[in-house]
Amino acid sequence: MKLVALAALLATAYAPVQALWPQPRSIETGSSTLRLAPNFQITVNGHGVPGDFLSAVSRTKQYLFGDKLERLVVGRGAVDEPKFAKAKSLQRLTLSLEHGKSFASITSESQKAPEDRDEAYRLVVPADGSGATITANSTLGLFRGLATFTQLWYEHDNTIYTVSAPVTIQDAPAYPYRGFMLDTARNFFPVSDIKRTLDAMSWVKLNQFHWHVVDSQSFPLQIPGFTDLAEKGAYSSSQVYSLSDVRDIVSYAGERGIDVMVEIDTPGHTAIIAQAHPEYVACPQATPWATYANEPPAGQLRFANSTVTTYIANLFTAVTTLFPSTLFSTGGDELNTNCYAIDEPTQAALNATGRTLEQALDVFTQKTHKALEVKGKTPVVWEEMVLVHNVTLSPQTKVLVWISSDDVKAVAEKGFKIIHAASDYFYLDCGAGGWVGDNPNGNSWCDPFKTWQHSYSFDPTANLTAEESKLIYGGEHLLWTEQSGPQNLDPIVWPRAASSAELFWTGPGGNISTALPRLHDVAYRMRQRGVGAISLQPEWCALRPGACDLTA
Amino acid sequence: MAHQSLIAVTLLALLARYGVLAIWPMPRSLQTGTSPVKLSSDFTVRLEGIHAPPADLLSAIARTQSRLQSDRLERLVLGRGTADVKAIQGAHVLASLTATLHSGFPVRPITEETIRAIDSKSESYQLLVPTDHADATLVANSTLGLLRGLTTFEQLWYDYKGTKYMLEGPLQVVDEPAFPYRGFSLDTSRNFYTVTDILRTLDAMSWVKLSILYWRIIDSQSFPLEVEAYPELSQKGAYSLEEIYTRDDVKQVVKYANERGIDVVMELDSPGHTTAISAAFPEHIACAGKTPWSRYASEPPAGQLRIASPSTLSFASTLFSSVASSLPGTMMSSGGDEVNLPCWEEDAQTISDLAQRNLTIADALNGFIQTVQGVIKAHGKVPFIKSDMVLTHNAPVVNETVVVVWQKSADATAVASKGLRLIHQPSDYFYLDCGGGAWLGDDIFGNSWCDPFKTWQRAYSFDPYANLSIAQRSLVLGGQMPLWSEQSSPENLDPIVWPRLAAGAEVFWTGETLPDGSPRLGANATSGTRALARLHELRFRLVDRGVKAIALQPKWCVLRSGECDLYS
Repeated sequence: MKLVALAALLATAYAPVQALWPQPRSIETGSSTLRLAPNFQITVNGHGVPGDFLSAVSRTKQYLFGDKLERLVVGRGAVDEPKFAKAKSLQRLTLSLEHGKSFASITSESQKAPEDRDEAYRLVVPADGSGATITANSTLGLFRGLATFTQLWYEHDNTIYTVSAPVTIQDAPAYPYRGFMLDTARNFFPVSDIKRTLDAMSWVKLNQFHWHVVDSQSFPLQIPGFTDLAEKGAYSSSQVYSLSDVRDIVSYAGERGIDVMVEIDTPGHTAIIAQAHPEYVACPQATPWATYANEPPAGQLRFANSTVTTYIANLFTAVTTLFPSTLFSTGGDELNTNCYAIDEPTQAALNATGRTLEQALDVFTQKTHKALEVKGKTPVVWEEMVLVHNVTLSPQTKVLVWISSDDVKAVAEKGFKIIHAASDYFYLDCGAGGWVGDNPNGNSWCDPFKTWQHSYSFDPTANLTAEESKLIYGGEHLLWTEQSGPQNLDPIVWPRAASSAELFWTGPGGNISTALPRLHDVAYRMRQRGVGAISLQPEWCALRPGACDLTA
Repeated sequence: MAHQSLIAVTLLALLARYGVLAIWPMPRSLQTGTSPVKLSSDFTVRLEGIHAPPADLLSAIARTQSRLQSDRLERLVLGRGTADVKAIQGAHVLASLTATLHSGFPVRPITEETIRAIDSKSESYQLLVPTDHADATLVANSTLGLLRGLTTFEQLWYDYKGTKYMLEGPLQVVDEPAFPYRGFSLDTSRNFYTVTDILRTLDAMSWVKLSILYWRIIDSQSFPLEVEAYPELSQKGAYSLEEIYTRDDVKQVVKYANERGIDVVMELDSPGHTTAISAAFPEHIACAGKTPWSRYASEPPAGQLRIASPSTLSFASTLFSSVASSLPGTMMSSGGDEVNLPCWEEDAQTISDLAQRNLTIADALNGFIQTVQGVIKAHGKVPFIKSDMVLTHNAPVVNETVVVVWQKSADATAVASKGLRLIHQPSDYFYLDCGGGAWLGDDIFGNSWCDPFKTWQRAYSFDPYANLSIAQRSLVLGGQMPLWSEQSSPENLDPIVWPRLAAGAEVFWTGETLPDGSPRLGANATSGTRALARLHELRFRLVDRGVKAIALQPKWCVLRSGECDLYS
C-alpha cells in the first residue's frame, strides 16, 4: 500500500507537466513521446468551409512550428531528446463537424448571445502516429480545440513533440461569458495593442472583449452622426478609433472566437461630452473634484433633461450599428448626486416635471435601454443600477458586480444574471499606489495587488442558493488605465488574466499548486508569440514545480 | 516689500503661463526668462579649446545632436504644440552650443572621469542659452561635467512640426549634484536580462544623470557571470548557456556605462544567496536546496557558502580576486544580507570545520568578511556591504566600507553612529518590486513582503539626512533604487522601473531639499503643477526615445497641470 502511494507520488512528481490552459473538463493522457511530422497537415472535412476558419487553421500551423517553446524542466528540451528516435510522428489532424452540422463562420458563431454559443469540442491524439481528430458542433468549438492542440507541443533542436500521447479530451466551458475589460479612455491604446490582446485572449479561450471605450477623460470613439464627440473629446486626432478601426477590431475579435461588448458609460463618467455639448453636462470640471466625482474631472449627463435623454438614446442607436454583439453595456456606475444638487438646469428640469432625481434616472434608463432593445441588444449595467438606484430594468439585463464580491448575493436576490467583475478579485490595476498628484503617501484604493492565485481561488457561487447559482453568467478581469498605457499593457494583464479564463472555463476549485506550472507554461508560450507576459517567479522555480511553494 | 511681492506675483504668473520647465533632475540653480528660442536648422554643438578631444566625448556630442533632431516631444499642454505657433515664429534662433572646459582643467575621457573615486568626481557644469544672438555655452571642470550639461541641454527643447524650441530664454543653469552616488540596482539572477535590456536601461539612467549601476549579478537561483578563474560557475549555474554574461558582455556593459557617466559596482552576494555555486562546486555550499526552505533561507532555494571551510575561503578569495581584476571601477560589493544560522548549524561539514578550528559561527563569519573585504581592498576598490552584516552581525568591516542600508530607512542612523559611510536603499521608500503580490506558490492570500507599492511620490519624499546629525551627514554618499527580479524580466523591466527611478535620481541630485529650499515632502511638492508636471514630461520623452515608461495619470491630467491633485 505504501509502495503504491510512493509510486503514485513519483509519477506525479516526474510526469511531464500537462500545460493546457484552461484545463479541459475531461482529459486522459499517456506518457508516450509523439513528434509532429515536418509535413504535418491539418485538413478540414466538409464543404463550404468559411474563410475565417481556414485562416484559423493556418494560424494554428504557424504556432505549431513557430512557438519553439522548450519544455520547462531542469535541462529543458535536452532531457526529452533520448525519446525522439523511437517516437512516432503525427502526420495529420482532421477537423470535422458532428454529423448534420453545417459550417458557419467562427465570427457569426462568436457573436451569438453567450448562452447560444457552442464551444464544446472533442480532441483525440493517438500515440501511434495515426491521425489526430477534433470534432465539434460548430466552427467555434473546432477553434477552441485548435487552441488546445497547439498547447500540447514543445520544441527542441527542431523537433516538435509532445510527451503526453495519447491524448483524449472532451471539453466545454463551465460559463458562457469569459471576458476581459479594457479602458481606452483614461489612456489610449492603438489598434495594434488591442489586436495583440485579442490574440492572447483567444489562446486561453476568453470569448468576450468588454470595451470600456469612453469615459470622462477622453472620447476616442468615432460614431456616425456624432462625430463631434471624438473630434472634440479625443486626446488628439491620432487617438481616435475610426469606423474602420472599430470594424477591424470587431472582425479580428470575431475571427478569434471573441465577441466585442462595447460600453458607453452613462450617465456618470461623461464629462468629456461637454467638449462638444456643454449644455448636456452638469458640473463639468467642478472643484474640488472629490466632491463631485470619484476621480477628476467631474461632469455627468443632465439626464433629467429630455433633450439629453433623446440624444443618448440616439447615440446608443448609432453605436449599435458598429457592434454586432447582442450585449451592450450602458454603464451606470458611480453616479454622484452632489453634481446635480448644484446644477441649476437639472433642478429646473426636476421642478418642471415634478420628478425626484431617482425618478428622472428611471425615465432616462428606460428610454435609453429601450433604444437598445428595439435593436435586439441586451443591456448590461454596473451593479449600482440594481443595488443603489431603483430603476426599471428589463429582466434580461445582465449586471456587472464590481464594488465587492460581497454584493453578488444581493444582485442574485433581485434575479438578474451576473457577470463577476469584483474589484477584490479581478481588478488588474490594484496595488500600484495612488495616482492623484500631491499625495506622497497615497495608496491604491483597491490595494493590495490581486495575484493570479487570488483570482484563481474565487468561488463564483459563494453564498448563493442552487437556484441563484444559475444566474452566474461568467466573469472577467478588468484593466482600468489611469496608470496604464501601451507600455505596460502586456505585463499588467498577462498571464494574470488567464487565471479567470480557467476559472470560468473549467469551473472553480482548481488547485493553485498544480496550476502554477501550467501557468508558467502559458506565460512562456505567450512570450514566444510576442506577448510580454511577466515572470511569475524566478526561472529556477519555473523549472522545478512545487519547489517554491510557500510550505515547500 | 511691496516691490518684492510684485516680483512674486510676476513669477507666479509666468509659471502659470509657461508651466514648469521640464528639466529632470531639477538643477541646483536655474534662471529663466520669457523669450522663445529655437534651434537653427543647422544647429551644431562645438568644442572649443579642447585639443585632441577624447573619443567618448565626441560620441556623447554626436548622441546629443542626434537626439536634438529625433526627439519629437510636443509640449504637454492643451492644444500641444499648436499653442506655441506664435511664439515659435518670433523666437530667437540659436546657431550653436559651444562646450569648453574651465582653463587649467585636464582633458580626460568621460570614462576615466566616471570611474574616479566616488568622492572625487566632478560633475558640475554651467549652461547658458542667451537670447542675444550669441551661441549657447556650456562650461565644466571635466568632460563628465560636460556630459551632464549636454543632458540638461537636450531636455530644454520641444518639437513642433520639426522645429525645436523652448519658451524660457534666456536660461542659465549652474548645477552640480548634492550626492556623488546616485544609483540603480538590478538583480539579474532571479530572472535574466539580455545585454540589450541593460544597455537600454543605462541610456535612460544617463538621461536623468544617475551615476551608478549596482549590478546584483548573481544569487541563489542562477549564476550568469562568466568568471575567468571558474568558468564552470556559469556553465553549470546559469539558467542556460544563452543566459550568461560573458567576460566580453561585462566589458561591453561597463564601457557603455562609463561612456555615459555611470560607474558599475558589482555585487557578489556572499556568504548567503550563493546556492547557484553548488551546481559547479557542491563542496562549498551548506544546506543546498534543503527543505523546508523557509527554515534555511529567506526564499527558495536554501544554500550558503561554507564559511568555516578553509577550502571554501580560498575559493571565495579566488572568485573575488578574479572578478575584481576584470572591473575598472573603484568599488565592489560582497553583499552579506540575510545569512541564515540554522543552515550552518545543521551542516555536518560546517560543524566539523568549526570544531576543528575551534571557532564559533560568528568567528567564521567575521573571518569570511575580513577575507573578502581584504581581496576587494587589495584590488584597490572600496568594499560595500549590506547593513544587516553591520547591524545584526556586528561584522568587523574595514573603515572605508560603504554600507548599503536596505531593511528600513531608520537603519541609516545606526549605521552612521558606527562612523561608517552609507548609501540609502531602504525597502520602505525605494524598492521597485514591492506591491506585486506574493510570488511563492500555493499562497492565495500572500502579499508582497514590502507592500505597498512605492510610488514615485513616496520615493521623492525621502530625506537623505533624516535623523542624522550634522556631523554624520558627510557619511551619506547617496542612494539607489533597486529592482529585485522574482517577478520581473525583460517583459516588464521598463514599465516597473520608469519613470519611478527618476524620483531617486532627483532626490540624490538635489539633496535634502529642492534648490529653492522647499522640502520635497512639503505641500505641493509632488503636485501636478510642480514635480509631477516635469516627471510627466520626462516620461513622454522616455517613451519617445524607446523606453517603455508607464503613464502616471490619465493623459487628461497630464495636459492640465494640477487638476488631478488630491485636493484640486
